[in-house]
Amino acid sequence: MPVASTPFRFTVVHLALVTAMSIFTLAPASVSAQAEPEFFERPYAPNQWELGKRLDESKLRYCVDPRDPDWEVAAAIADAIAQGLLLEPVRYTITSEQVQEDITKVYALLLEHCDIQMGFKLISGGYAGWASVTRPYYEAAYVLVALDPDVNALADLGPGRPIGASMGTSAHVRLVTYLTALPAEERWPTYPMSSNDAALNALVNGTVDVALVWAPTLWSRQRGGDAIANLRVIDPNPLPPTSLGVGALLLSQETFLRAAVDETIAALTADGTIAGILEQYDFPAKVSP
Amino acid sequence: MMLNKSGHRTILMTSVLAFGLYAPTAFAQDSAIDKMTPVTTEMLLNPPDGDWLMWRRTFNGWGYSPLDEINKENVAKLDLVWAWGMTPGGRTQETPLVHDGILYLQNSTTLIQAINGATGDLIWEYQYDLPEDVNPGGERSKAIYEDKLIIATRDAHLLALDAKTGKLIWDKQVANSKYGFSFTSGPLVANGVIVQGTTGCGGGQPGGCFYTGHDVNTGEELWRVNTIARGDTPEGNSWNGVPLESRFGASAWLSGSYDPEQNLIFAGVGQPYPWNAEMSGLSPKSADPNVTNNALYTNSTLAMDPNTGELKWYHQYLANDTLDLDYAYERLLIDLPFKGKDRQMVVTTGKLGIIEALDRTTGEWLWAKETVPQNVVFSIDQTTGAKTINPETVPVIGETTFNCPADPGAKAWQATAYSPRTKTLYLPMVEFCSETTVQPLDPGEIYTGGGRQTYTRVEHPDGDGNIGQVRAVNLTDLSDTWMYRQRPPITSSTLPTGGGIVFVGSLDRKFLALDDETGEVLWTSGKLSNSLESFPITYEADGKQYVAIVANFASGLGRLASLTPEIKLPQDNPATLYVFALGD
Repeated sequence: MPVASTPFRFTVVHLALVTAMSIFTLAPASVSAQAEPEFFERPYAPNQWELGKRLDESKLRYCVDPRDPDWEVAAAIADAIAQGLLLEPVRYTITSEQVQEDITKVYALLLEHCDIQMGFKLISGGYAGWASVTRPYYEAAYVLVALDPDVNALADLGPGRPIGASMGTSAHVRLVTYLTALPAEERWPTYPMSSNDAALNALVNGTVDVALVWAPTLWSRQRGGDAIANLRVIDPNPLPPTSLGVGALLLSQETFLRAAVDETIAALTADGTIAGILEQYDFPAKVSP
Repeated sequence: MMLNKSGHRTILMTSVLAFGLYAPTAFAQDSAIDKMTPVTTEMLLNPPDGDWLMWRRTFNGWGYSPLDEINKENVAKLDLVWAWGMTPGGRTQETPLVHDGILYLQNSTTLIQAINGATGDLIWEYQYDLPEDVNPGGERSKAIYEDKLIIATRDAHLLALDAKTGKLIWDKQVANSKYGFSFTSGPLVANGVIVQGTTGCGGGQPGGCFYTGHDVNTGEELWRVNTIARGDTPEGNSWNGVPLESRFGASAWLSGSYDPEQNLIFAGVGQPYPWNAEMSGLSPKSADPNVTNNALYTNSTLAMDPNTGELKWYHQYLANDTLDLDYAYERLLIDLPFKGKDRQMVVTTGKLGIIEALDRTTGEWLWAKETVPQNVVFSIDQTTGAKTINPETVPVIGETTFNCPADPGAKAWQATAYSPRTKTLYLPMVEFCSETTVQPLDPGEIYTGGGRQTYTRVEHPDGDGNIGQVRAVNLTDLSDTWMYRQRPPITSSTLPTGGGIVFVGSLDRKFLALDDETGEVLWTSGKLSNSLESFPITYEADGKQYVAIVANFASGLGRLASLTPEIKLPQDNPATLYVFALGD
């Protein structure tokens, strides 16, 4: 049935809403929903109805993505995990040229190509219900990088000199939180960058004076011997360092596999295998305790 | 079926090879499309009553059909006459086009099909292959002009197909999809120029999106208008001092409208990105007096010359949007008196559910009309339309804020429609709120998620559980004529007709016909294959009126499914075109 309605009276409804909001903060609404990621909450894989459960359980199929700076290190760790599980490692190397992917793309990769995909940070509340992350096989940091020889710590950077930060990272959030607490005249402008690479490029071309980036990306770029080899990691002071564990992503329904991989990572951490791999690559990370 | 070099298939050929003669159905199909006439400029300006030639049917964006064979008196006898299973894979918010009884359909896998609108028989189909690393997905619209069907693709190509045969005429790459550029809506052909908006400017590539104009005969790009202002101008300096390489968003993800008298396109632009203003660099506001943080041209109407791309004027509805509250949607060109003076208006409704009108000859802001309860806007300046934002709703790092509506919007891409019969705007709407938390979302180096905020969608605290609404607002006096409410979210666009009916679809797989003067439900379909998140159309074929809608869970307001867990939808997300008509 149609409902007769009256024109919306903004102020009255607004007041009612504010009141309701006050109540709302004290008592949950009768219906509430789980927090959701923003796009395509129900992941979709092309032809997903044709993808069945794998039958060959003597193999550990893992995905690595050469667009990830650590992919060779991650592959070596995945091989070690497979060996620890007494499974044959089968590597699937992703070949996409897309500069950015929505995380739901991994859903299709997990259905079709791999049991685990390497290279995902442990972020509280950062994953939808379909995905889970193993325990971390290493911890790496976001680092502040500069070219100016007079800037050895963030504290040396004069107010008004810009920082370029890979957009939306945990370290970016922490930096912005810190800046918000400062008087306006003491802040550094912070420019969001589309990626760690873009932040480093902005530093090299002079758009920013300091870049806030994921240490493995800096490692990868410097390893490549390009023009950014002269960039220096500076002391984050007055910011505390931001480090995150990195593990492998798998479907949340794979609880047995998840437990087995977690146990293996713990064993490989304890016996020094992972530390040895990190050392072999001179990789800027440490094993997780 | 035979596949020729251009990838198009012809049913007729199949019949010939299999049986050595033309099957009767093939004769009928062949005959129907052989009779099809080229779509002229005059037809686009004044479409035949039985045709649906562009996204919202007419250049004025009304989404209204004058057909009246199906009307209030007989709509209860509406029956399903045929259905067509669309290719699975990806989501679709399809608007079929119809000309001379031939219905053109774009599947989410970029399989383009011509179907006999009366019989539901396939005439030809053309498969465009997307790159493997581009997810399939539908386009909300397409265009037809002269002998060409003009298609946009998810990898940012424009295609022209021969409307009679499905043969590819030209294929033009407009932007590089590896940077995220994409098309999710098709073009509008205005004054002989193809006008296309680009989306996918969230994070892969700074600098924003663009509208482009293209030559109909070759696809060559004629002009480009950037949706993020640049340069040392008041508009270019509206990004709080953030350099161009750090400006993101401003997607142009729906087609515009066209005023032939002024030769102007009116098209929308979405919000800045990331949504949180502290992360985007838009807050806190710079102390530089030469700089603002409005982030132009986000959440604006752009008035552009379709032949040159010249930006004649713009109007921004929501500056420095921090809640993903796009004003990117349909623009309706409506001429009515306002304060005693005849005005040529452009009317739009953003996610906030606030209807707003501009004078489309000048860009002057005229009026606003609120609909669903919202708590984001405190007040609206009645001269300029500038909005005062409730600071308690602005997301802040470390806090959870509460805003109504939630990010999918009280009214999103599901278009409003205007009936000249009743001088009424029909709005498909939902009523809900969100607890919003700023969230670092950097799970992988390449794999990211969303706009750096997460939303817990909840019902409105004062709501009665009826989330779905269709509102009818009389635009002569901005009075509420009626409101239809139900618990399942309303998820399709509205379709008013000359028969006095407003068609609309909902999340619970039902297609409804409402009385355009009272909101009374006159007819309800049986449960269809999936939720109805598309653009219903009506057309005529062989002298009979049909009503068509595509069923598919197409995200968007489908995200409201979390509020209505009792509504179950099929697992593998089927897509189906349903066509209804009166029984013989």
